[in-house]
This record gives sequence, structure tokens and C-alpha cells, in this order.
Amino acid sequence: MPFTKFTNLDFDQIRSSIKDYLRANSTFTDFDFEGSNFSILIDTLAYNTYITAYNSNMVVNESFLDSATLRENVVSLARNIGYVPRSRSAAKAQVSLEIPTTSTSPTMTLKAGLVCVGSVNDSQYVFSTPEDITTTINSGVGKFEDVIVCQGTFLKKQFTVDGSLDQRFILQNPYIDTSTIVVYVKGSSDDGKGREYELADNILNLNKDSEIYLLQEVQDEKYELLFGDGYFGKKLENGAVITVTYIVTDGIDGNGATNFSYSGRITDNLDNVIVPSNNVTLTTVSKAQNGGAIESIDSIKYFAPRIYSSQYRAVTARDYEAIIQSIYPNTESVAVVGGEELDPPQFGNVIISIKPKNGDYVSDFDKQNIASKLKNYSLSGINQQIIDLKVLFVEIESSVYYNNAKVSNVNDLKTQVSSVLNSFATANINQFGGRFKYSKLCQTIDGADTSITSNITKVRIRRNLKTLVNQAAQYELCYGNQFHMNKDGFNIKSTGFGLSGRNGTFYFTDTPGTNGKGVIAVVKDVNDNGEYEVVIKSAGTVDYIKGEIILNTITFSSTEKENDIIEIQAVPESNDVIGLKDLYLSFSVADSEINMVKDTITSGEQISGVGYKVTSSYLNGELTRG
Amino acid sequence: MAISRESRAFRDISLSFEPHPVTKDLPILKNARAITRSVQNLVETIPTERFFQPLLGSDVRASLFDFVDFATASVIEEQIITTVNNFEPRVDNVSVEVDPQPDNNTFAVTVFYDIVGQDFPTQEFTFLLEATR
Repeated sequence: MPFTKFTNLDFDQIRSSIKDYLRANSTFTDFDFEGSNFSILIDTLAYNTYITAYNSNMVVNESFLDSATLRENVVSLARNIGYVPRSRSAAKAQVSLEIPTTSTSPTMTLKAGLVCVGSVNDSQYVFSTPEDITTTINSGVGKFEDVIVCQGTFLKKQFTVDGSLDQRFILQNPYIDTSTIVVYVKGSSDDGKGREYELADNILNLNKDSEIYLLQEVQDEKYELLFGDGYFGKKLENGAVITVTYIVTDGIDGNGATNFSYSGRITDNLDNVIVPSNNVTLTTVSKAQNGGAIESIDSIKYFAPRIYSSQYRAVTARDYEAIIQSIYPNTESVAVVGGEELDPPQFGNVIISIKPKNGDYVSDFDKQNIASKLKNYSLSGINQQIIDLKVLFVEIESSVYYNNAKVSNVNDLKTQVSSVLNSFATANINQFGGRFKYSKLCQTIDGADTSITSNITKVRIRRNLKTLVNQAAQYELCYGNQFHMNKDGFNIKSTGFGLSGRNGTFYFTDTPGTNGKGVIAVVKDVNDNGEYEVVIKSAGTVDYIKGEIILNTITFSSTEKENDIIEIQAVPESNDVIGLKDLYLSFSVADSEINMVKDTITSGEQISGVGYKVTSSYLNGELTRG
Repeated sequence: MAISRESRAFRDISLSFEPHPVTKDLPILKNARAITRSVQNLVETIPTERFFQPLLGSDVRASLFDFVDFATASVIEEQIITTVNNFEPRVDNVSVEVDPQPDNNTFAVTVFYDIVGQDFPTQEFTFLLEATR
């Protein structure tokens, strides 16, 4: 009998194969008995085979990007296709400093290193600047405006080049934010720290005199610097001193830090320390944000091949997704729409919408940064526009029937349903190009607990209109989904708002017309009995088929909701809602209504059905939202 | 598929690996000697010692540092009987005599058993258990 089972990874199967072989090919018989000498030999053989098979399996797995599991191997394989995984990124805050001094120096310098200490969640975090900042002293005060400080500790490392082939320049700290690395090389003819070398991410446009360094991740999330070889990049001379400064950060933990207190070090133009003559005034321009963790193994596996296929050129939508993720690590989801797909078309434009990980909006500063970095990758003649996130909220109104006999506390059951819906939202919906699948939702609610017997769920969609208070303006809201049109109206509902020059609280409502279009009217509540008076008969139009609301010039004076927001809701024609083009679909569980209803038939209280509480499958006929 | 064989003989390899002086073959343990060796292996194997068979063996070694008296001898007796009954299906009617020898810090163990299905008289073999192997 041939011994050909090479693929076994199970000890017992290997042992059984060896026994089968011996049974057919030897005169020994005792290997079936565990106490026998032969059994001991077979165990040893099987164990040896098992270890070899396991090791071979692991080695082969770790040789491919798809199946590798150790970070060191994944990073190494990604490196082969030119991908450098993102490092941890420090949370960055903007502060302004006013430092009073009696120094007669014309300038003062805020030295690289610790600047201030901020707090978040009862924890203190240090914030540093990676480079010196100099300002002039006017009237005994030095002002540093809008200084960007990075959360983390500023560190310095020096290497002396010894010319040996095996010398490596490894920064021994994990948790480095590589964007804060600054490298100086001091040759025999240089003064001070020497000449600053720039980071290069490819060898295009490099020559033998380019003062550059390359960066790669090595073992244990540490980084290694590589310098030129005299052909691509300037070669280091023997005895040169390399000075590397960088910031070691806590990453995501530093986000949200405020209440900064000054702890920096100031020097004059002669490098003498300046002691402030009075209290330093520190103003927080923006709180700490955009701190991020090191790129995960899954992310490296996903993006390395995509960056390779994009070849660092932004051409297709997928290229943008990969490149934006690498230049703005705080990205959660990206939508890219070619201008030709817009209505009306905008040829030559690319519209980019980014959902950041912490929050809803990318700051103007970050938008400018992203746009300028994207220029290095994009085609000539193509103009990128980074626009604010347009969120299409999906809300539900669900009546959940439960078997009273199986429930001890209805509130607990309701909490459980909410929790299941939140998980459903995160896993399936909240993203660009997402789709709200009605049948899956109903199934999820039914499956939340064994006591739930059924549910009747109604869907509505909402967008938030950000108003310009006390300014006349026109507004357009696209929902990307066809509206359900009830001929009697009451399809469009809004939260309250105030109008300039008028008293009272006003609401939007609609009057359907022909051809799938209608008119938006503004109404005012006359009393608390649900009576309304039409104030503006034609304040805009609604296109039920395109799912679009356009408001004529109008001046809002206030809004019922915070942040100058008016919530405007509609009922979708289809219960499945899509996030069209640049709309970010978000399932808002917090704004949804979940009503727990006792199922009197299943619980056996009223088996005849008399007294059963019937829930309508259609939305109510109220005029206003909420 | 395994081939079924009719032979009732037991043949095991000897771990001494000393070749036969004439034929140069490896030594073979047959029938009663093979079973004796097997029982001795079982008693001397410490549980968890064998790969992926953590229960195989007996815990007599744990008792060797106790007092060398009849109480400990009784525990060892029980352990050996249980082990042989559990892991050696070729024997039956197992009984064990353990003789404590306090002067030598040793237990002399004699195991008695019948071989199942074979026309052999009751077998016995003796070995010494001491605190060093």
C-alpha cells in the first residue's frame, strides 16, 4: 500500500496512515496497542511528520500577501510591491501663544519638543512640535499664531556612519508618527546639524546628488531609514552624523484633547533661554483631532494591491479610494463621482466626498492639504473638488410585537432591539454606496430575541438642511431616492423654523401636482389643535421622481433644532433605500421610533384575536415632523 | 484499506536495538514478552508524556516520594490496576502486589495477569519502582 497522504495536518490521521502502512508491509503486529514499544516509535514518527507538515503549511501561508498573518511578513510582502503601511498618526491641535518677555532680542524661537499639555477623558497628554518655530518680538510680546502641535513625545536619535555594508539605521521606538520624522545629515564640511534630507517615496526624479532618505517598516512596528547609493540619492560619507527627530504618539487616544497649558521652551536669537516675564497666554484654535492607529494587517492586505494597481496615479474611482486613504489616514469611507455623471454634467471635474473616522466633516485645512497632495497623483486637466459630506439619514418607525410570556422586562427587550439595529447599521449600511435592505432589517428585528413574534416597520428618509440664518439664500436638497407621493399631500415634513420679519414657528409641507412634481409651501401652526395656516403658498418645488427639493430664496431667522439645522423628511417610494453618488447613507437608530406591542394572540391572552392591537402599515397623516 | 490478518501472535520491536549476533536482525519481542513490556511501558509512562494522549500512563511516579509504606503501596497498586485495565486490552484478571522496601526507598512491584485468548498460564513479572529513574 503506497504511503501517499502528504496533506494531513492532523496528528491522529498521520499516525493512522503510518499504522496502515505497517499493517500491510511488516511482520509486526503490536502497534495497535498503546503500551507497545512500536506504538512509542510510531508516535515519535507521527509527531515529527506533524511538526514538519505544520511548519511547511505556515511557511507557505506566510509567503503570500493574502494568507500571511504575521505583521512582519505582511509588511515585507507589501514592501515588494512598493507599499509603505501608514504609521500611527498623532492627534494634531492648533494653538496660538502670546509670550511676554523682557528680552531685547529681535526674535524668539519656540524650540522643537514639548509645547503644551492637554487633557481628555481625565488623562493628560503632552503635545510637541517637530521643528523650531521663530517669530519676531513686538512691544515685548512674541506671538506664535496657529501653531500645529502633535500629541506625543519629541525624541532625537543620532547615528554615525561607519561605512560598513551591514549598518542599519533603525529607530528603536515603536508608535512613531512617521510624518514627524526630520532627518539631518552632517558631513565633514557642514555646520550645526547639517543638511536636511527629504523623504522620498519613489526613485523618480532622483539623481546622485538628491538629498533624500527612504522609510520602511521593519520588525515590531519600528522604522528603518535607507539612504542613497550614489546613483539614486546621495551616498552617505564615512563619519557623517545623522540626526533624526520624531514624535512618539499615543495615536487615537489623543483625539479631543483641549484645555492646554503651556510647557514649552523659548530661546532668543543667540540660543539663550528666554523666561516669560508674565503668564503665557495660550489660545486653543482647534482641539486635537485626526489621531489614528497604525495601519492594520487587514488594511495593508486590502490597500497594497490597490495602490500597486493604481501605480500612484489617480485615474479611476478605486485609485482615488486607495490614494486618499494613504494621504489622509483618518478616512473611513470615500465617494468619488466623475463630473460627467452629475446633473447637469461638469466635465473635467471630479467630486470627492470623504467621511472621516471621527466626526462628519473634514476641516477646510485638511481639505486643502488633501487637494494639494492629490495633485501629485492626478491627471493634468482634471480638477478635484472635495465637498462636504451629504448624509442621507434613514429612520424607521417600528412596532415590535412580543410574546408577553417570554419577557421579564419590556425595556430590556427594547434596548436589545436598539442594540441589534446599531450593529446592523454599522455592518451593513453606514457607508458611501450603501444600501438599506428592508427585508434584512425586518429579519434582524425578528431575530433580536426569541420573544419577538413579528414587526411592522415603516421607513422614512431625512436630510438636514444647514441654513444660513438671517441671510437670503436658495437651497437644494437631493435625496437620490424617489419619494412616495400621496395625492392629498403630507409627504414632506420638517422641523420648525423661524422666518425673518414674521412671528411664530413655521414648517414646510407639500402640495402634489402633476407629472410627479409638486409645490413646497410654508405653514404656521395656529393653535395646538393641529390647525395650520398657509403663510407662503409657493416656497419651492419638489420633484417626487428624482427625490429632490428646491427652495426659492428664503431668509430663515432661527431653527428649532441646534446648529441652524432644519430636518426635512420624506417617505421613499421603495423601502430599500440607496446612497446615490456622493450621498452617505446613515441608518439613524437614535431618531427611529421603536414601539413595543404585546402580541395578545401568541401569548394566549386573547386567542380569538378580539382586542388585538392592530398597527397601520402606512405612515401617519400629521403635517409636521416629530 | 487495512488488510485483516488471522495471526494471533503478538510481535513487538525491542527498544534496545541490539542486533542479533548471527543474523544481525533487530530483536523482536513475542507474545508474553511483548505484553509484559507493554504493561511495564504503561506503568512507567507519566500522563501527558505521550503526544496528544494526555491520559495515557499511570501516576505512580507521583507516589514515589511519599512514605515507603503499605499505605502508599496500596495507592500504587490501585493505579497500576486501573492503568492496565484501561490501556492494555490483551490481558485480564490483573492483580498487583507491591512490596515496600523502606531501606532502599523502593517498591517491588509484581504484576499478575492472564493473556486473553491465548493458552498461556498466568503471567507475572516484577520490577522495581524507585524515586530516580
